[in-house]
Amino acid sequence: MEDLIIEGAHDNFFTPSVNFNLKTGICELSGESFLEDTVEFYKPLIDWLESYTTTVKKPIAFIIKLTYFNTSTSRCILDLLNVLKDYEDEGGEVVVNWHYDENDTDMEEDIEDYMIDTGLEINLIPF
Amino acid sequence: MNAKNRNLYDYLNFVNQDVKISYKGPIDEKILAVIGSYIEVILNNNPQASRKLFKIFIELAQNISYYSAEKSDFAPDKHIGYGTLLIMEFPDSYSFITGNAVLNDNIIPLIEKCEFINSLDRESLREYKREQRRHPQGNLGNAHIGLIQVALTAANPLDIEVSPLDDEKSYFSIAVKINK
Repeated sequence: MEDLIIEGAHDNFFTPSVNFNLKTGICELSGESFLEDTVEFYKPLIDWLESYTTTVKKPIAFIIKLTYFNTSTSRCILDLLNVLKDYEDEGGEVVVNWHYDENDTDMEEDIEDYMIDTGLEINLIPF
Repeated sequence: MNAKNRNLYDYLNFVNQDVKISYKGPIDEKILAVIGSYIEVILNNNPQASRKLFKIFIELAQNISYYSAEKSDFAPDKHIGYGTLLIMEFPDSYSFITGNAVLNDNIIPLIEKCEFINSLDRESLREYKREQRRHPQGNLGNAHIGLIQVALTAANPLDIEVSPLDDEKSYFSIAVKINK
């Protein structure tokens, strides 16, 4: 297993930046997410977290700094958070920090919806 | 004045100073990118409205791109939906209007879905979105969750109009108001 690093891009589609660090357990997803094939993009991220939580089994700090994501991305984020919730339920140590623009009340609602949906504690960090 | 010019003049009278952007044609990723970046630029004095308009634009334009019953002739090998979109500015709001052809078989479920969305208060609508999101990705399911998101983002009802085109298709317009 290795780090998972994807450089973000803002062209016709918006690719988020991904930096999942194997050694530290700090996994960051940032930028904007609007992709041609959302499921294909997020599959390796979900696979990485699943293999980390079943083989490495160390603490995870999941950091989200997305400023925009479309509805198909929103399903994939739910999948990612569900992997973390399952890990926590099995005794894994998980912290989720979600950074968002304090004026973006829609984003705040989105984060609350994820907490309701997954039962995972998410720290809201306005900037 | 010949017929061609007069038609364009009538069009310009319709697309008056309230209209910030009007587009009719195939809606593919390049169009999404260009219009999306204009939305960000035109509204840079109002970041909150700009963010909302951008989110609504992506969901509605993607619905046209994927589901319009009329497809572009420019790329016959791919399905690139054909449609119209309009962004208007008024003293205290923006309006985002899109229109495209829909198969008659799909029109009743689409109207019912919009009416159901309009009947829910914000909390129920959020709950409905969470419920829809838990379902696996499906073709029209994606269009519907897009509409729920549009209603949530706009915080206003979906204003829809349907006009029959022929035995096969109807024209579906949806207008959404975003308060400034």
